[in-house]
Amino acid sequence: MNRELIGNLIGLRYKLMWAKTRSRNGRIALFAIGYFLLILLGALFAAGGLGAGVAAVKSGQAALVAKISYSGIFMSALLWTLLLGFGMNAVFSDTELRRYPMTAAERRLVRLFIGIVDPFWLLVLLADFGMLAGLYVFGKTPLGPGAVAVLLLLATNFLLSRALGTLFDRLAETKLGASVLLLIVLCIAMLPGALVPVLQRNSGLRERVVSILFFTPPFAAADAMTSAESPLIGLLLLVVWLAALFGVLVWFEKNPVRARAIHAQAARWDSRYERFGALFGAANAPLVGFWLRFYLRNNRVRTFCFAGLPLAAFLAYSMGRNHDQWFIGALGAMPVLGYMGTSRIAVNQFGYTGGGFRRFFLFPSDPGAALRCASYASLLMSLPMLPLGLIAWYVIAPAGRDWRQGFMLLCAGIAGVLVFNALGLWSTLYGPRKGVYDSTMGNDLSAIGNLVLIGTMMVGLLVPPLLHHFAPALVSPDNWALAVIPAGVAYALYKISLALAGHRLNQRREELMRIVEGKL
Amino acid sequence: MQPAAEHAIRIDGLVKRYGTVTAVENLSLSVPRGCMYGFLGPNGSGKSTTIGCLTGLLEPTAGTIEILGQRFNSENVAVKRRMGVMPETLGLFEPLYAQEFLAFTARMYGLDEDTARTRVTELLAALELTDARKPLADYSTGMRKRVAFAAAVIHSPDVLFLDEPFESIDPAGVALLKQWLRRFTEQGRTVFVTTHVLDTVERLCQQVAIVTKPGKLVWEGDITALAHDRAIEFDGQQFRALEALFLHLTGEKYADLKWL
Repeated sequence: MNRELIGNLIGLRYKLMWAKTRSRNGRIALFAIGYFLLILLGALFAAGGLGAGVAAVKSGQAALVAKISYSGIFMSALLWTLLLGFGMNAVFSDTELRRYPMTAAERRLVRLFIGIVDPFWLLVLLADFGMLAGLYVFGKTPLGPGAVAVLLLLATNFLLSRALGTLFDRLAETKLGASVLLLIVLCIAMLPGALVPVLQRNSGLRERVVSILFFTPPFAAADAMTSAESPLIGLLLLVVWLAALFGVLVWFEKNPVRARAIHAQAARWDSRYERFGALFGAANAPLVGFWLRFYLRNNRVRTFCFAGLPLAAFLAYSMGRNHDQWFIGALGAMPVLGYMGTSRIAVNQFGYTGGGFRRFFLFPSDPGAALRCASYASLLMSLPMLPLGLIAWYVIAPAGRDWRQGFMLLCAGIAGVLVFNALGLWSTLYGPRKGVYDSTMGNDLSAIGNLVLIGTMMVGLLVPPLLHHFAPALVSPDNWALAVIPAGVAYALYKISLALAGHRLNQRREELMRIVEGKL
Repeated sequence: MQPAAEHAIRIDGLVKRYGTVTAVENLSLSVPRGCMYGFLGPNGSGKSTTIGCLTGLLEPTAGTIEILGQRFNSENVAVKRRMGVMPETLGLFEPLYAQEFLAFTARMYGLDEDTARTRVTELLAALELTDARKPLADYSTGMRKRVAFAAAVIHSPDVLFLDEPFESIDPAGVALLKQWLRRFTEQGRTVFVTTHVLDTVERLCQQVAIVTKPGKLVWEGDITALAHDRAIEFDGQQFRALEALFLHLTGEKYADLKWL
């Protein structure tokens, strides 16, 4: 094994990160602040884990609480990686590594190692270790096998994220893939809601489910830490998981799926996109049509458009907590349903255009039109999701079919979509990053892009429950007409952003060009 | 200096700085209408930056630009409509098919749908871009160059800016482009071209400017003598090939690596 070369490549990944940082004024400060925040966040994660460990020991049910806590961390990591792409950046592709004298196994090792040393996985590791520290200090957990279990659990978590991500990628490339994906996400979203009441009623089934869960990685790791007899069974189970997942990844790599999408059929003259684009004026038709093609040919956009509905249902269920508050949860989830599909491109509209970005300044038109039309295309794809959400609401809503609720949901959805797209215009200008159009894994957004995406989602989800708590009249169907106000404010914000951002684009074109073309 | 109307492009005192780095330094030149004008220089001498300023991609730090008799800046849409550009990075949108990209470009330059279809079809056939099953992302470098060239000429511009158009294209493709460019200039239209293929410049261009780092003009003149086997006189020396003149002006030397 060429250890020196592998070490050099891993070092290169960090040199590249540093080179990007130092290339722009002010970035070093941002970088330092970012890492300071990461350390704070890490401390928070470790403290959280430690707290869970202490709680586990104090409750007298260390094994059970540890299993539940580790499962929570494990599932959260999966959700964040698969949904938002954290910790999934490839950095070097297999093709890039082929230029070096390395075997296939060495290339795989480099890519996996670079992936797992991403800051995101460090946070997961800290939470896992925090929990172990709590169990060790306040309980009787041996540190050595516990540490091995934590490392194995982290590796399993990482490999499972990769395997599921690759599986989703492959599904998205097949003809029925998006539908299958939709079904999978639906099942995952609905499973907790459907399963909990059944398990509460049936203790026999509960025991059987728990006995099956013993074979899952977090349960195995917790068992290795808390088992009075021997930690070996848990550790062995983790090793089996690791080997199996590694095997799956190798199999995926050796059996690539043939890309479908636009590659499989001959192109035809098709003006549908331009006709839709003409909704925003004849002059904008070619540009809106172009952006619609750009959005719709992206695998991640298509996948997330499909996943939006079950995700929104899941969020409504999670935020609503109980049946009479489902509506409050749905108020926060409706905007997510709207903008989820186009979100990645909407906050970084030029980041995936590569050299094509130059065209917008060569064409005999106002370059700001390119930005505005990209946003119109995003709206054209986002807003039709809202009626779908309403239909779903009326089908599954537990509290009857109240038209006022429907109206409020629609207004909330419109407000959320407009605010998100308004902020997306600004993050496109001030937080661009060169991304890979075809990549379906990884989070290639800048800090500002992530802030807009995650911030809008979190604020949108949290505001309705807070209003329900502190000013219930504002979210009551009795005052349904009030819902027009946020939608109106959002519309004004969107229109102002369109006018101002379009003007700013021309002024920032040289810097944007360098970023988008990867020169900065 | 000749009257403005006779010049397709006039640059006066063009300066482009990136922070403290000067990319183009006080560049002044004139390109006559109907001329094939070669803009030459070593790597990093500011050729692409100059084209960037001339086409509205970059904002000049100082200096004035006139194109087709009109003062030009990045917001001059009327002049942009009469310009065709093949940028250094080609400027392609990779998820699109060639025909979609060309039709989109044509529409952006104001061509109606029927004209766009006709021209796209003809260009695709002439440039042998007939593999409609592939998006641009899957094209080879040479094919991508052909698409970028087609996008530059689809609206039949009066001035054409080509940044290294011949590199990576096969000999048959280069011959076709040369033939088109000759006809283009015969019709009184102008081509401003940068390339490192000096043989082609020698046969194709009537006038040449040579710049050195940082974007400093060191020679500008007529090179038609070379095509007729006559020499160009400069610095008391006679140059029978553009390469010799270029190396003399830019001071480029070949380093001798003993281990190579």
